[in-house]
Amino acid sequence: MRLTFEDHVDIISDDDVIAARQKGRMLAAEIGFSPTDRAMLAAVITELARNIVAYAGRGEVLFHAIEDVGRRGIAVIARDHGPGIPNVKEALQASYSVAGGLGLGLKGVKGLMDSLDIVSVPGKGTTVTARKWQS
Amino acid sequence: MSGIPDALQQEYSDALRDYLARPNEQALRRAYEMGRGTLTNGAGVLGIAALHHQALKEVIPGLSAEIEEALLIKRAEEVFIESLMPFEMSHRAFREAIAVLRRMNDRIEEEAKRIAHALHEEAGGLLASTDLALEELSRDLSPGGRERLSLIRRLLGQMDEQLRQLAHEIRPTILDDLGLLPALDFLAKGMSKRSKVAISVEGSTEGRLPPVVETTLYRNVQEALNNVIRHAQAGKAAVIVAREARAIRCSVRDDGVGFDVSAVTAVRGERGLGHVGMRERLDSLHGTLLITSAPGQGSELLMYIPLEG
Repeated sequence: MRLTFEDHVDIISDDDVIAARQKGRMLAAEIGFSPTDRAMLAAVITELARNIVAYAGRGEVLFHAIEDVGRRGIAVIARDHGPGIPNVKEALQASYSVAGGLGLGLKGVKGLMDSLDIVSVPGKGTTVTARKWQS
Repeated sequence: MSGIPDALQQEYSDALRDYLARPNEQALRRAYEMGRGTLTNGAGVLGIAALHHQALKEVIPGLSAEIEEALLIKRAEEVFIESLMPFEMSHRAFREAIAVLRRMNDRIEEEAKRIAHALHEEAGGLLASTDLALEELSRDLSPGGRERLSLIRRLLGQMDEQLRQLAHEIRPTILDDLGLLPALDFLAKGMSKRSKVAISVEGSTEGRLPPVVETTLYRNVQEALNNVIRHAQAGKAAVIVAREARAIRCSVRDDGVGFDVSAVTAVRGERGLGHVGMRERLDSLHGTLLITSAPGQGSELLMYIPLEG
């Protein structure tokens, strides 16, 4: 069976963060992710959605089922039209913020997922794509 | 465990009770945020464990009549994992940072090797050729000219000597070729000669250590001895190396004026005495640094590096 779901949750308020976590966790369960992997995914969604609320005010989180030579996984895409990240490289470095220094935020997302892509255009917005494969 | 605010305990217990009775995402989110808050406030993972344990004690008795024990345990675990997840993130980032630090150290050492080689072999070689050319030239000169040229050749000789010394300090080939103890011995002799401190080196590594461990200890001893010479007003210093079953221990002791460890740490943020560099090099090997000293009582710097396998 080939899973091809696509789903999204608008992120406007903190309540939406909970909705996005729930959706991500549910879809990950459908793919067959373990409870721990699902909890990691929920953490990733929380950190990404938290950034949307804090820096852009609003945005959305999208979910895609992904597949690659027999492996299945999930892509979490956080998108906003906020001010953008002035320096993506810095944002991924530990010293950027209190959260980053502790390994939370984008840096934390990187550690929990298999891949992380960030496209940010100053004044136009940010799209973060994080993928995780079933272990 | 003390140190947990009542309000936080209350909130965690509420979230746990809520989730155990009826699993829901909001309760998990609360647990996650409490873990995150505990992490950013500097309280440790043990704080979360205590929080969870206390909450279980409070909550379970009220629910065990209605809900099966196995189910309660499973749900409680889900809440616990949420509250620990921020610590997991932090831990992973920390591991990654250590790996980066280690790679950076390797690159710096490689660069030092390259520079030392360029100084020693290439610049040294050019100086030798220059000296030969001058020697040939001197045959054609008058005795007075020859005299002046030999002064220049002596200066060139000194320059050559300094280049070799510098190359050695940047990257001692003796460390690669013969190992830590001979390199420390050579270092101590050189430093004793240049200062008024008698430096001894004792102990054994019982065979070669991984190159990165040798380099780290060499660099740190070098820095520690520099500190002794500059600040301690010591007459004697001793470097002691000891091999343990799964670790290497190395200390640098002196009989100098000593210092108030906490004062130096507080005022200079350990920067002034070069301890930051030492700690960074040790961190990448999961090593530890212990400094003991008191005014008038000399000082001891102890390094301990675990060895794999």
